[in-house]
Amino acid sequence: MYIARRPGFGGGKPPPPVRPNIPFASNAWLAVLMLLGAEAMFFAGLIGAFLVFRIANPVWPPPFQPRLPIEVTGVNTIILLASAITIRLGLKAIQRGDRTRGIRFLSLTAAGGLIFLSIQGFEWLRLLHFGLTLSSSIYGGLFYTIIGCHAVHVFAALVWLLVVWYEATAGKYTRQNYVGLQTCSMYWVFVVALWPLLYGLVYLY
Amino acid sequence: MTKKIISLSLVFGLSLLARSSASWACAVCWAGDTGPTADAYNWSVLFLLTAPYTVMGSIAAWLFYTYRRSAATREKSDGVEPLVQLTWNPEESGR
Repeated sequence: MYIARRPGFGGGKPPPPVRPNIPFASNAWLAVLMLLGAEAMFFAGLIGAFLVFRIANPVWPPPFQPRLPIEVTGVNTIILLASAITIRLGLKAIQRGDRTRGIRFLSLTAAGGLIFLSIQGFEWLRLLHFGLTLSSSIYGGLFYTIIGCHAVHVFAALVWLLVVWYEATAGKYTRQNYVGLQTCSMYWVFVVALWPLLYGLVYLY
Repeated sequence: MTKKIISLSLVFGLSLLARSSASWACAVCWAGDTGPTADAYNWSVLFLLTAPYTVMGSIAAWLFYTYRRSAATREKSDGVEPLVQLTWNPEESGR
């Protein structure tokens, strides 16, 4: 092709520079985005069910039912929100090529998730001891279903994060290749962003 | 046989007319038009009605933002002269 552009062999205006056709988002990124949409609809269904029972009952919690631990869970909420910041900082560090700093932030995020789940588990045990079970009332049923589903999601996100953390320590993620960490970060931030809404509805409303 | 089916259908239809209680058009009409239960269903339906639009809107907004950011990054890199272009430019190559 180059010979054809030489004087005497034709030529003319040079063609535009060759650019690699890079997509603006990876397939994994798009897949996780769709997953988050489905998850959001799943929780929307649970919240819709909660609204029906909550608004229909002016006295809430129902009589003879234990009160939920608002203060401890409030502190737990702050811990979880902080973990969303640390995972974003970890991702930024990996994107800059600072692997040590990135792994440190991922460790902090995992610790935040673990503390959140531990406190939740401890509070659940106390509530069970006080008589709030899945079948004790519609109040207990809704509480364990909604908060339990969220806890399962946090647990799944934590397992995913630990896998990503292991891969990061093994040097899999670089400045150019960080899709695995990026998708995990998306899921983690989604799970964290969902919590204040659930906390406000189930614990405070 | 056809007469039998028609007769049975007629008897079944007339027996429905003999039913004294009202038949509701929807599964939750027993809640009435007003009151806390009707309010609860109204708010829940409103929430679930807006949820898909909010979710799809958020996804669309995120895709749009990512696309714009990617385009901006690519435009920024346009200032750098690509090496490939030199091989195509007769004036700059001096041939």
